[in-house]
Amino acid sequence: MKLPAIELELISKQFGGLLAVDAVSLMVANGERRVLIGPNGAGKTTLFHCISGTLQPSSGCVKLFGDDVTKLTENRRTELGMGRTFQISNVFTELSLLENVVLALMGTVSRKWTVHRSVGHYPELRSRALDGLDRVGLKARADDSVNDLSYGDRRQLEMALALNTNPKILLLDEPCAGLSPSERQGIAKMISTLPRDITLIMIEHDMDIALALADSVTVLHRGKIIVEGSPAEVQANSEVRDVYFGNI
Amino acid sequence: MSRTGILFALFVLTFAILLPSLAGPFWIGLVTQILIFGLLALSVDLLLGQTGLFSLCHAAFFAISAYTVAILQVRYGLPTILAAPAGLLAGTLLSVVFGVSVRTRGVYFILITIALGYIVWGVLLRWSSFTGGDNGVTNVPFPSVGVASISTQTEYYYFVLAMISVCTLAYRVFINSPFALVLRGIKGSETRMRSLGYRTGAHLYVAFVISGLVASLAGVLYVYYNRFVNPAAASFPNSVEATLMAIVGGSGTILGPLIGSGVILGLRNWVSGFFELYATLIGIVFIVTVLWAPQGILGLFNHLQIRRRSS
Repeated sequence: MKLPAIELELISKQFGGLLAVDAVSLMVANGERRVLIGPNGAGKTTLFHCISGTLQPSSGCVKLFGDDVTKLTENRRTELGMGRTFQISNVFTELSLLENVVLALMGTVSRKWTVHRSVGHYPELRSRALDGLDRVGLKARADDSVNDLSYGDRRQLEMALALNTNPKILLLDEPCAGLSPSERQGIAKMISTLPRDITLIMIEHDMDIALALADSVTVLHRGKIIVEGSPAEVQANSEVRDVYFGNI
Repeated sequence: MSRTGILFALFVLTFAILLPSLAGPFWIGLVTQILIFGLLALSVDLLLGQTGLFSLCHAAFFAISAYTVAILQVRYGLPTILAAPAGLLAGTLLSVVFGVSVRTRGVYFILITIALGYIVWGVLLRWSSFTGGDNGVTNVPFPSVGVASISTQTEYYYFVLAMISVCTLAYRVFINSPFALVLRGIKGSETRMRSLGYRTGAHLYVAFVISGLVASLAGVLYVYYNRFVNPAAASFPNSVEATLMAIVGGSGTILGPLIGSGVILGLRNWVSGFFELYATLIGIVFIVTVLWAPQGILGLFNHLQIRRRSS
C-alpha cells in the first residue's frame, strides 16, 4: 500500500482559552483531492497552518509521506514538497510579476544565495518564470508591478507562487474567495487541470466548485471533524445540513 | 540604474576627477568626507532599502574598524597592509556578533541596535587606557603599502574616489542579484517567503554581516582621511545621520545614499558658516523629505520623469 501523503494524528491547537482545532485526525492519500468545508470559525485555516508549519500544533503529530514533520519549520516542509496559498493574497506587491515567480522558483535551490551575478544572467530562470505565469494566464503582464494588478489577477498570481515551488502537496486556502463567478470558473478550471499526482487539500466555501473538484470531503465544525466521505455522501448527510443551516 | 542614472553618475565622476584642479583643499576634504559617509549610508541602506530592517548601530562597525586601524598603526606601529585588513575584519566580526539582532523585527530591531551601538560608544569612551577615552587616537599616518604610499590629501582623495566607484559598481551588481531579490521578497512578505521555502532569518543575517563589512570599509577610509578617531565616530547621532542620508537621497536606490550624503554634509558645511543651528536645518530637511518626497531625492526625480513622459 502506498503511504498517505498527509497523515494528521490528534492535532489540537489552543489559543488561550480557545480550542481552535480539537484532536483532528486525518489521512489524505497520495494524489487525492480533498476539500475541507465548515462554517466560519470551524478551525479550517488553523488546521492548514498546522499542516504547513506556520503554526506549531499544541499537541498531535503531522506526517508527510510517512515521515514525522511536526518539529520541522515551514521552509523545511516546503523543501519536502509542501506548497500553499493564503486566504488573503500574500504576494510581493512591490515587485514585478516575473520577480514574484522567480522567488517561488528559487525558494528551495541554492541560487538564492548568489550575490555576484544579476537575476538576468540566468535566462532559464526567466523562461521558467514566464511559463509559470503562462499557466495562470498572466504572461503578458510579466514585467508589470503587482501594485497594478486587479484583485482577481492577484489570486491567480497567488496560485502561480504555490505551483512554482514544485509541490507534491498543495494546500489551497479559499482560492476563489472574493472572486466573481466567471473568475471562479477560471480558477476552478485551472485547479482541475493540475497533474493528478499532486495531492490537493482545499478549503472552499463555494459548494459548486468544491464538490465538483473533490474526491472526498471533510466537514469541520468547532474544531472537530463531524463528517468525512464522498461529495454525494456529505451532501446527503443530515448533520452537515444542520451545521450549515443552523439547527443545532 | 536607468540610462539617466548612468549618465548622471558619469557626469559626477568626471567632475569629481577634475575637482582637485578646480577647487582648493577645503572642497577636496569635503568631497572626500561626502564619499566616505556616502559609503556608510550605503551600508545602512543595504539593510533598510533592501530588507526593511532599520539599523541604528552602524556607526559601531564604522568606529571599531577605524579604532582598530588607528591603534594598530599608531600604538603598535603595524604597517597599513596589516592594519587596514585588521580593521575591516574587526568591524565585520562585530557585525557577526550584532547580527543576532535580526531575530527581532520592527521597533524591537531598532531598539536593540540602538542599545548595541551605545555599548560600543560607551566602551570606546570609558576604556580610556586602551582607546584614549574622549581624545581618541591621534596622529594616524597616511596609508602606505610598500612603495605605493599616499602623502597628500589629493592623492588620498583619488584613492577614496576609486574605492567608492568600485563599491558603487559592486553594489549595482548586488542589488540585481538573486540574493537581493530574496531580501526584497522578505521586505514585502516574510510569511510568504517562509512558505516558499526560504529560511528568512539566515538571509537577513548574511545581509546584516555584508552591511557590517561595508560600514567597516567606510571606517577604514575614514580614519586615514581624518587622521584621528574619537568616540564621536561611534555615537548614536552618527548612525542616525547615515540613515538620514540614505532616506533623503532615496532609500533602496544605488546612488541615493551618496546623494543624501552630499546634501547633508554640503548643507552642514555651508550653513554652519553663518547659522549656528544647522542641526535644526537638517531636521527640517528630513521632515520635508518624509512629508513630500518619502522616496527621497532620487524618488522625486523619477516621479517627475514619469509624469513628464506620460503628459
